[in-house]
Amino acid sequence: MPLLPRLSSLRRNLFDKPRVEQDLDEELRAYLEQLTDEKVRSGESYAAARRAALLELGGVEQVKEEVREIRIGNMLESILHDLRYGFRSLAKNIGFTGVVILALALGIGANTTMFSVAYGILMRPLPYPDAGRVALVYMHFSPQNFDRGTMCIADYLDWKAQNHAFEEPSIFSSRRMDLVGTGEPEQVQGALVTAGFFSTMRVPPLLGRVFLPGEDRPGAPSTAVLSEALWRRRFSASPAVIGQSIAINGASATIIGVMPDAFRFPRATTELWTNLPLVPPTRRGPFIARGVARLKHGVTIEQAQLETNTIGQRIMRENPYYRNLTLPVERLRDAIVGDVRTPLLVLIGAVGLVLLIAVVNVANLMLARATTREGEMALRLSLGAGRMRLVRQLLTESLLLSIAGGVAGLLVSYGGIQLLRSWNPGNLPLIEYVELDGRALGFMLLTAVVTGLLFGLAPAVQGMRANLNSTLKEGGRGARAGTSTARRIRTALVVSEIALSLMLMAGAGLLIRSLEHLERVTGGFAAPPRDILTIAVSPSDRKYNDAQAFRNLYEDMLERARQVPGVEAVALSDTLPPDRQEDADTFTIQGQVLVSGEQNPAVSDAIISGDYFRAMRIPLLKGRFFTPQDKQESAPVVIISDSLARHFFPGQEPLGRRIKQSGPDNQAPFMEVVGVVGDVKYTGLQKDTDAAYYMPYGQNFGRRMYVVVRTSLGAALAPALRRAVQAADPGVTLNQVETMQETLSRAVALPRFDTVLLAAFALVALLLAAVGIYGIIAYSVAQRTHEIGVRMALGAGQGSVLGMVIRQGASLALIGILLGLSGAFALTRLLSNLLFGVSSTDPLTFAAVALGLLAVALLASFIPARRATRISPVTALRYE
Amino acid sequence: MATNLLQGTLDLLILKTLALQELHGLGISHRIAQITQGTFQVKPGSLFPALHRMEESGWLESYWGESENNRRAKYYRLTVPGRAQLATETDEWQRISIAMASALEST
Repeated sequence: MPLLPRLSSLRRNLFDKPRVEQDLDEELRAYLEQLTDEKVRSGESYAAARRAALLELGGVEQVKEEVREIRIGNMLESILHDLRYGFRSLAKNIGFTGVVILALALGIGANTTMFSVAYGILMRPLPYPDAGRVALVYMHFSPQNFDRGTMCIADYLDWKAQNHAFEEPSIFSSRRMDLVGTGEPEQVQGALVTAGFFSTMRVPPLLGRVFLPGEDRPGAPSTAVLSEALWRRRFSASPAVIGQSIAINGASATIIGVMPDAFRFPRATTELWTNLPLVPPTRRGPFIARGVARLKHGVTIEQAQLETNTIGQRIMRENPYYRNLTLPVERLRDAIVGDVRTPLLVLIGAVGLVLLIAVVNVANLMLARATTREGEMALRLSLGAGRMRLVRQLLTESLLLSIAGGVAGLLVSYGGIQLLRSWNPGNLPLIEYVELDGRALGFMLLTAVVTGLLFGLAPAVQGMRANLNSTLKEGGRGARAGTSTARRIRTALVVSEIALSLMLMAGAGLLIRSLEHLERVTGGFAAPPRDILTIAVSPSDRKYNDAQAFRNLYEDMLERARQVPGVEAVALSDTLPPDRQEDADTFTIQGQVLVSGEQNPAVSDAIISGDYFRAMRIPLLKGRFFTPQDKQESAPVVIISDSLARHFFPGQEPLGRRIKQSGPDNQAPFMEVVGVVGDVKYTGLQKDTDAAYYMPYGQNFGRRMYVVVRTSLGAALAPALRRAVQAADPGVTLNQVETMQETLSRAVALPRFDTVLLAAFALVALLLAAVGIYGIIAYSVAQRTHEIGVRMALGAGQGSVLGMVIRQGASLALIGILLGLSGAFALTRLLSNLLFGVSSTDPLTFAAVALGLLAVALLASFIPARRATRISPVTALRYE
Repeated sequence: MATNLLQGTLDLLILKTLALQELHGLGISHRIAQITQGTFQVKPGSLFPALHRMEESGWLESYWGESENNRRAKYYRLTVPGRAQLATETDEWQRISIAMASALEST
């Protein structure tokens, strides 16, 4: 088919349209005149001939329309036309358009963000080859009782010897490591690992090599692998770093390799790996390491678990010290993701509800608009518009809306992800891998488009069913029986919107109450958290080789800190609330009768200086605090927490009783209980494990201690204090210089993250529901203008009209609230793991949320109701 | 007659009509009625879209001229590609009609 004439026609049709149109008009007029002439010639009167000709032609406009439709470029042109018309009609209804786009933007944006985050954390492949086969192996036993507890080297050797399920099992032990030399002393997160560690993870080094087989045998030279970040920061990314020697914790080690940035194991913050020498153990303990290993091909994680169970049984049989020993196996992903899985899934569920509400809202608005446009549709049909053409017009409008909503949603999700990444509450793992997920966005866009199309077509469907005559006769007033289905659907949509928002609000309310409780947990000390400054001191240098050297150093530090202007109290402790527990150990009470092998549970034990309780304002309940007289030479003393006193000396006088550290076999001396103090949270704010015992640092010693200072100057004092403490020895590493306020807020960062997000979702849901109620009531008022006018003409007062309209809104809201409450009762149970100090069906929260929603619903119906009272009967009746 | 068949037929009839003589719209429809002995009464609603479509395809071209009784009218004539198209469509039609005829007789 020749192309040239088609192109020139296209050009003419698009760019020379008036001439083409005029030409067509003249052609048809000429045709009509010729036809009339013929008929006149055959003897008819001119008028009759003209009429007959017109009839034969079948309507000039219709013929023109048919010619236009076959024209080249017609499709393009009518699309352009539809778009123009669509833009105009959307712009004319700026309120409707704005609300739909906002609803879609929030629904799509929030969902894409949450799904991207959840995918990045829960599903995105880990940066370790075939990571699905890598598992962590823990040890759980009484009296330690940690779910993901550690094992000792002897346990590891037993496991390794009897292992068949895994390729070369390895262990790692995370700890802080002090880097001295080449610049400022610095403490970094490190890990001691056995030789097979890196080959289990299967990530090649960026530079140099990783540990070779045998580098974990006793006496092997100390070697170190750096993270890319540490290498760039401290060694300016120099390749010459390989073979250099660095001082780690006061001992020298040779750098053998650098790991790429993607390698972040065992912790996201780990920057230094050194070889763990497997010194032949003489006893069980210390418990320092967790296992990591790769499943052999064809072995499932369940089979591996069965095998480690058997191994655990054997270890327990040979070592009566252990009770209830198991070796739990956990997939690498689960180990990394840990506690955030539940909150993330809850948030995904919540955001899904938001999308549902947004979609329902859009559907509702579309239907409302469809009803008001029935008249327009009927008019256009009767003026010769093709039905398909109308459908196309409506589809164009819906698509415009959906696309605008989608683009806005894309912006929202892009911003949302940036926001979440920069606001990363610290303990959200893998957040660095989170990026906008194309599939999530695509799915959300599809949802938006399908919703738009489905409900955007409603007017066309209604228009096609409607009887043109009756619609036109109604004069577009639209109060017809035919719309009652649409009205019922819309009512149901609004009710479900309210119900869904109530469910979200109930969830958010519970989390807010829970966070309130959590933030009210002070950790057990009465000093204002912003007044407590803490510094972690880590004297790694070899010159501190005995207890006296340490004590001299710490005395010096205390003295220098005390001199800083503004300092009110100074103390030392190796354990701090809310979760910096250096050590947990069992204890033995003198005279206590235990079944052979039985032990008391492990509790926090702290080594403190005498002023610790005074600095932190921890109340003394009984007895006395430590004094400077509690020294090495004097009788050993101990202070116990209230909770330990109540559990182990119920109804007895604890003062004067004697306890000792660890199990009955421990050689440590018994210590006399001289005081009972208030409970302090050392293992986390949400934990109930408040039992602890305190030992004076004059009689015990810890290498690493926190300097604790109380000052009304708070964080402002930090630089001066740091300088003063550092002056005691420039070679000592100082870390985590921060107020207790900062520490506490970090401890509730993850709960706050869930709460803020869920509350934001609930707020969006509430807004959307309010818009939904407002829309349906306003629409109903507009529909009933005539009826209300009649009522008022017949003497109905403004009050009764107001009441009538508001009652309508209130009844919708009440049905929705009742449905929502029953849904919430069923759903909030899923939250129970995230709640602290509040039940998942807390009646106060539920009542508050229901009342709040009702208030918003009433407000949303009040605005159109007031409009109804302003209807003038005269105007209303003239509307006929 | 089925519509899609009708469209092809209408094109062919218009091409055939214009092959003999340049004509305006009314003339074409009269001519078609005449040569088909009144079987085809082409309505303007079909005629004009067909003419415009064929013109855009380059088979026809149009010009303004004077009608028999001195009125301005738009005339159509066949182009060279239009003649080729007529030949193609004639062949096609004959093949189909023979095939149809034998198919209908074969029972």
